[in-house]
Parts: sequence; C-alpha cells; structure tokens
Amino acid sequence: MGRMRAWPGKGAGAVGRAGTWDPVTAGVVLARLGPRHEPALRFFTPREEAVAEALLDHVLARSPDDPPVPVLTVIDDRLATGEYDGWHFADLPQDAEAWRRSLAGLDEDARLRHDGRGFPESGYGERDRLLRHVLQLGSGDWYGMPAGHVWKLWTRYACEAYYAHPHAWDEIGFGGPAYPRGYLRLGRGLREPWEEPR
Amino acid sequence: MSGRAAARTLWESARPQGDVRRRNASAWLPHVTELKRDMRRFADSDEVDMVVVGCGAGGATFTQRLAHAGWKVVCLEAGPFWDPQKDWVSDEWGSHHLYWNEPRVVGGSHPVPMGSNNSGRGVGGSMVHFAGFAPRLHPSDFRVRSGDGVAADWPLSYAQLRPYYQRLERELPVAGQYWPWGDPHPYPHPPHPVSGNGEVMLDGCAKLGIEARVGPVAIANGRFGNRPHCIYRGFCLQGCKVDAKASPLITHVPDAIAHGAEIRADAMVTRIETDREGRRVTGVRYVRGGREYVQRAAAVAVAGYSIETPRLLLNSTSRRFPDGLCNDHDLVGRYVMVQGAPQTAGRFAEEIRMYKAPPPEVSTEEFYETDPAKPYVRGFSVQTVSPLPIMWAEHVAEQGHWGPDLRKRMTDYTHWATLGALCEFLPQAENRVTLAEETDRHGLPVARFDHSQCANDGQLMEASRKVMEEILRAAGATELMTVERYAHLVGGCRMGRTAEEGVVDADLRSFAVPNLFITDGSVLPTQGSANPALTIMALADRAACRLAGKEPR
Ligand SMILES: Cc1cc2nc3c(=O)[nH]c(=O)nc-3n(C[C@H](O)[C@H](O)[C@H](O)COP(=O)(O)OP(=O)(O)OC[C@H]3O[C@@H](n4cnc5c(N)ncnc54)[C@H](O)[C@@H]3O)c2cc1C
Ligand code: SF4
Repeated sequence: MGRMRAWPGKGAGAVGRAGTWDPVTAGVVLARLGPRHEPALRFFTPREEAVAEALLDHVLARSPDDPPVPVLTVIDDRLATGEYDGWHFADLPQDAEAWRRSLAGLDEDARLRHDGRGFPESGYGERDRLLRHVLQLGSGDWYGMPAGHVWKLWTRYACEAYYAHPHAWDEIGFGGPAYPRGYLRLGRGLREPWEEPR
Repeated sequence: MSGRAAARTLWESARPQGDVRRRNASAWLPHVTELKRDMRRFADSDEVDMVVVGCGAGGATFTQRLAHAGWKVVCLEAGPFWDPQKDWVSDEWGSHHLYWNEPRVVGGSHPVPMGSNNSGRGVGGSMVHFAGFAPRLHPSDFRVRSGDGVAADWPLSYAQLRPYYQRLERELPVAGQYWPWGDPHPYPHPPHPVSGNGEVMLDGCAKLGIEARVGPVAIANGRFGNRPHCIYRGFCLQGCKVDAKASPLITHVPDAIAHGAEIRADAMVTRIETDREGRRVTGVRYVRGGREYVQRAAAVAVAGYSIETPRLLLNSTSRRFPDGLCNDHDLVGRYVMVQGAPQTAGRFAEEIRMYKAPPPEVSTEEFYETDPAKPYVRGFSVQTVSPLPIMWAEHVAEQGHWGPDLRKRMTDYTHWATLGALCEFLPQAENRVTLAEETDRHGLPVARFDHSQCANDGQLMEASRKVMEEILRAAGATELMTVERYAHLVGGCRMGRTAEEGVVDADLRSFAVPNLFITDGSVLPTQGSANPALTIMALADRAACRLAGKEPR
C-alpha cells in the first residue's frame, strides 16, 4: 500500500495517546502490539497456514511496507479457543470447520486450474482471479457451501482482526479509546487539537 | 415549538424528582458494585416468591418492581455481574465479551447474522451495549390488524401503557426535544449537543422539509442523582464505562438489591420445573460453576431475550408439555421479528468524524405511519448510527470492496456520515426459533432462528434507503453506500387475548401455567419502527404492578 501514509513510527498515533486511556482499556489494546504466546499457531495446520496467509494478504491488500498488524495469529487463536461471534449460517458448518473446508477448497481450486500448484504457490494474478471467481459465485455452491457466505466469513474475521489494531486506526484517522478524556469539539469540520487533518 | 409543547417541556423538565426517587432510588444509591457486597442471598431450598430468568431490560425491571413491593425475588443471570470500571473497555473488539457468544444457527431466505447486533449477557442484558435510543411506540402500533389489516392487534392499548412509558422515561432518564409524533410528549432531560453525524441529519432533513428531532436517548444530560454526565466519547455500543447511558445494571438493579432482591450472576437456567401434572411451575434448574442446582419458587418469570426465552421453553419438556412448556398451540418460538435496519452512509468533503459523541443523536418518525399513497403498509424511522472501525469495515466489505479497494476506502473513514432506518417488518409464523441439532457446552440444543422477508418488508427497506439517500444528498454527500441489515429481535412468545392467539396475556401471565410469566421482548405481537427497550421495560413494569396490586394512579 505504497500510496498510503507511511507508518508513523513508534510512540505516535493512537498508541502515543495511551497515557490518556484508563488502565483496563490500555491493557487490552496495548496487548495487541506485544509478542504473541507460543506456540504461535494452534488451529491451522502448516498447509492451512500457508493458504490462509495468502488469502488474507489479498483480502486486506497487505504489503511488506505495512505496519505489523497480526491477523492470521489472531484468527488462529479465535478458532483454537472457539471464540466465535455467537452464530453461524445454517448452510455453513461452525466457523472453525468452515475455515478448514474453505481453505482446502481454495487450494484445490488452485491445483485444478494451475497444473497442480496450490493457492500459495500460484502467482498474485492467479490468486486474485481465483478469489474473484469465488466472489462471483454469490449464493451459488462452492465445495458444499454457499460461496457468498464463505466470503463473508473470510472478510469478517479479517476485518475484525485488522481494524482492531491501533496501527489500522492511524491509517484511517480513528482516534482510538476515549475514556476518561472524551471529546469536546463536536461538529462538521471540527477537530480536537490532537486530531490530524485527513 | 408550539406554546403547548414549550409549556409541557418546561413542566416535565422542572418537576421535582421525589416520585422517581420513591419509586426507584437507583440513581441516588451507592454504586451497584458496592451494593452487591451486602446483597441478600437466598438458599436454593427457600421457596422465593418469584424467580426471574435473565437480568436484562425486562427481567431487571420486573425484579426491581416486585422487590420494591416487598416480594422475595431471585434473578438468575447466565452472564457475569459486570463492574463497568474493571470489565468494560473503551474499545470495539475488546467488548466482544459483552455479547451472547454461545452458538446459534441462523437460516431462512433472509438469515439474520448476530455479530455486532448480538444480544447481551450479564447483569444489564442487551442494554449494556444497546445504542440508547429510547422512543415509545405509536398508538397505532397496538392495533395494526384493525388499522392496516395485517399482523395482529395487541391485547392492550397505548393508553394502558402510557403511564409506564412516562415513569421509565424519568427513571432512565431520557433526553430529547419535544416529541411531535405518535402521542406527542416532552422528555425529562434536554437534548444533547450533536456531533458531525447529527448535524448532517438535521441539515439534510431541514433542506427537504422533513421534521427531525434530537433524541430521544437514554443518556442523562447533566447529572442525575449520583450518575455522572456523558463525556461524548462515542462508545455507547461497547458499554458505558461512565454510567451516563442507562442500562438496568445502574437504573434498576441498585434499587432491587436495596430492597432485598438477589441477583445471582453466572447462573445459566437450563430448565423450568413443573409439578407432576404440569399445572404449576415449582422453580428452575440452573448450572453455576459446572454444578447443577434447583431454585424453588412460587412463581417464575422468563426474560432471556427473544431467542433464549423460546429456547428455554422448548427445552423444558414434560409429559404434560411434550413440545415445550406453554406450547399447546405451537406458538412458542413463532412470530419472531427483526426490524429491517439498512444503513446508508454518505461521503462529505469536510470531516465528519462520526465516532465522536453517542451514536444515537437524531431521529425522524415522519415515515412511521401507513401512507395510503404508498404501495406498502406501516413504515420506518430514520436515525443516526455511527459505526466504529470494525463495523465500518464490514459495511465497506459488504459492498463487495476488498483488497486495495477496501483499504483505500477505509482511509476515508473520517469523511463519512451514517444513517440507519428501522423498518417495521411484519410478524410471520414461519419466522421462528426452533431447537437445532447442535448442542452447547451444557449439552442443551442451541437455538436456530429462521427468517424470511415478505414483500411488504422488502418495499419498506427500499423506501427507507431512498429517504436516507435523499437526506444525505441534501446535506451535501457526494457518494453513497447502503448495507442491508437487521436489528432488534422481538417476539417469539407473543401476547394475545386468548391461548390460541398468544402464549401470554396482557399481564404477561402464560395461559397454560398460571404462575409462569414472560417479561421480555419476546411478548411483542408487533414491533413498530421504534427501538424496543423502553417498551419492553414498560410492559414488565406494568405486569409487575398488576401482579403486586400497585398500579400507578
Ligand atoms: C447492538 C445493539 C444496539 C441496540 N440498540 C438499541 C437502542 O438504541 N434502543 C433500543 O430500544 N434497543 C436497542 N437494542 C435492543 C435492546 O437492547 C433489546 O431489545 C432489549 O435489551 C431486549 O430486552 P430483553 O429483556 O428481551 O432481553 P435482554 O436485555 O437481552 O436480557 C436477557 C438476559 O437474559 C439472560 N439469559 C438468557 N438466557 C438465560 C438463561 N437460560 N439463564 C439465565 N439467564 C439467561 C441474558 O444473559 C441476558 O442478560 C439494541 C440491541 C443491540 C444488540
Ligand atoms: S458517549 Fe456518553 S453515553 Fe455513550 S458511552 Fe460515552 S459517556 Fe457513555
């Protein structure tokens, strides 16, 4: 994402305001910046890890210059501990199983189309076409699941992990936690002194 | 504002609060976290007067009213006894634990994802993370069948509920401008200042000649008893750490505890027990810390939300009730409703920063009633909503944006304003909660909710989208996005005049078992286009007053 504002460096942005947050919120948010516990992955097999990482790179358009926002490890953690969203579509298995099946499906799609090369081994453009294909199927069947519901599962988990991160907030101009400080300048075009123009 | 509106507003906002305090002193008592320490505890073997299942909008109100009237009440709540300072955060993802995250299955041709719309758990129920809009229903909502030839009439009228609406508006308290729609009325607290999002809605509506009003929100404007004022930090849907926004945890539970009620948290009710013949309920079976207990009670009130209430009844089978408690007429779990809640966002040249200030700011009910000129019946309301980043990302992704497109659009977050509609979807028998094959960690079948729209529903969604687009465009939006969503589940154990028509009567007493009550949103026969919490509380208040023989004069 070269076009975007450069990652502003440690201590700036939302994290730089952590001193104004209440301790419980600071604990929860700052933990997203720290090291993750070992073993790093508990749910995904190595093959699934490779497919999921490639999938998430596409869904979130991640590039090596991006600030470090953990997504795969967060999803793995949720699926390993059963921290779902409290529901699943009747025509999809529970989230964990739906992730496994859909990753296997992507890999299979790639192999069928690209002479036995799996999803992570395919080229960027090839992967992009494979994903567009799934998206275009809409409510049509894809490996025994409605493609549209699978797509929503992927984007939901990806967005929940990515946009929970303070680096992502800086990227979009969100102020982050606001307790106990609150906001004083409300209204169109108004900014707090620390809010940067966008 | 007309002279009469001004006079009524002055009278309402300047009146002394003695009656509120006598009825419910919650705002003047020490904080609930302190009160909890000396809370009365009952033994399982004590036959209490009433055991209430679920400490949300309906359950907590019912508990407080009966305790206040001197009843011995235990309220069993599946989730934790929240301490806002320790358990809630000013963060979107960090608030995931406020939701009912146990598994549920959604199906039908228009399945309703729970996600960020999920019901709550823990003392305070869904109101812990509700937005805070607190409108009343309109008088017409109580006679939709007579008025529009569809859906059902309620077994009670608006006039019968009005005093309870008034009482609760004073207890939450509700802030807003004089309300010109439905039964016109003033609010006890003045309207809050609005942020960029609210300004957009007011401006767009003014340009189009659509009446819009600031409020009504269950957020104190200024101090209320010991409760602090709002700091406009925008995290109402993550639980109000400040205690400015109402939830039963701070509006009704303190007074209930002070009057000797026990709120027993972390207690998941798995079954309602009856006597051998199934004539009376005798108590409830519940699991706490992995162990099973039975609390004996002379009467039981179920208030677990529109999904868990039917699920509990369906799971409570016996020889007398092979298809679930109170399910003689195949009504339990049926007529569950959601409001169609499309959200339309508009992009503006200047910054809006919709995350500042409470998301609930401004509403209009201009489109609420049936308009004979339109091809559909009933209507919708339009309100401000202000998604935080994760919800906003889902909003953008829902449009089919992904990859570079998604990331790029997201960088524009501060320039968007968002409105949400609430469309009155009609009750349908096939929109229902049943038991799925899947079980939860207690081994109990989980709920499955099937939902499909009827033609009228679809037309309302479409009409409301157009109105929201016009408002945003009039305010200067250059680009628009709409997502189709649903909100606010109600129904599933509707009230009626007879046992064939409803599971409970207007006093929320079940037809099948005279000492079993249902006191939550599941009793609503229709839903109007108003957010439901205030109505649920008013119904529970009325039922408790009727039961305890303490009706307001
Ligand atoms: C994101 C969101 C925003 C909302 N915004 C608004 C709004 O602005 N205005 C409005 O009016 N409404 C709003 N609502 C809806 C409103 O919060 C609910 O309609 C209302 O709280 C429902 O009340 P209830 O009594 O039926 O259930 P709840 O308040 O959900 O209470 C049910 C309680 O029962 C407990 N329970 C369930 N099963 C069991 C069991 N077996 N044993 C023990 N305990 C159990 C649950 O843990 C829960 O605490 C919103 C809802 C959501 C999710
Ligand atoms: S905006 Fe006000 S009411 Fe909403 S959570 Fe913050 S302090 Fe509470």
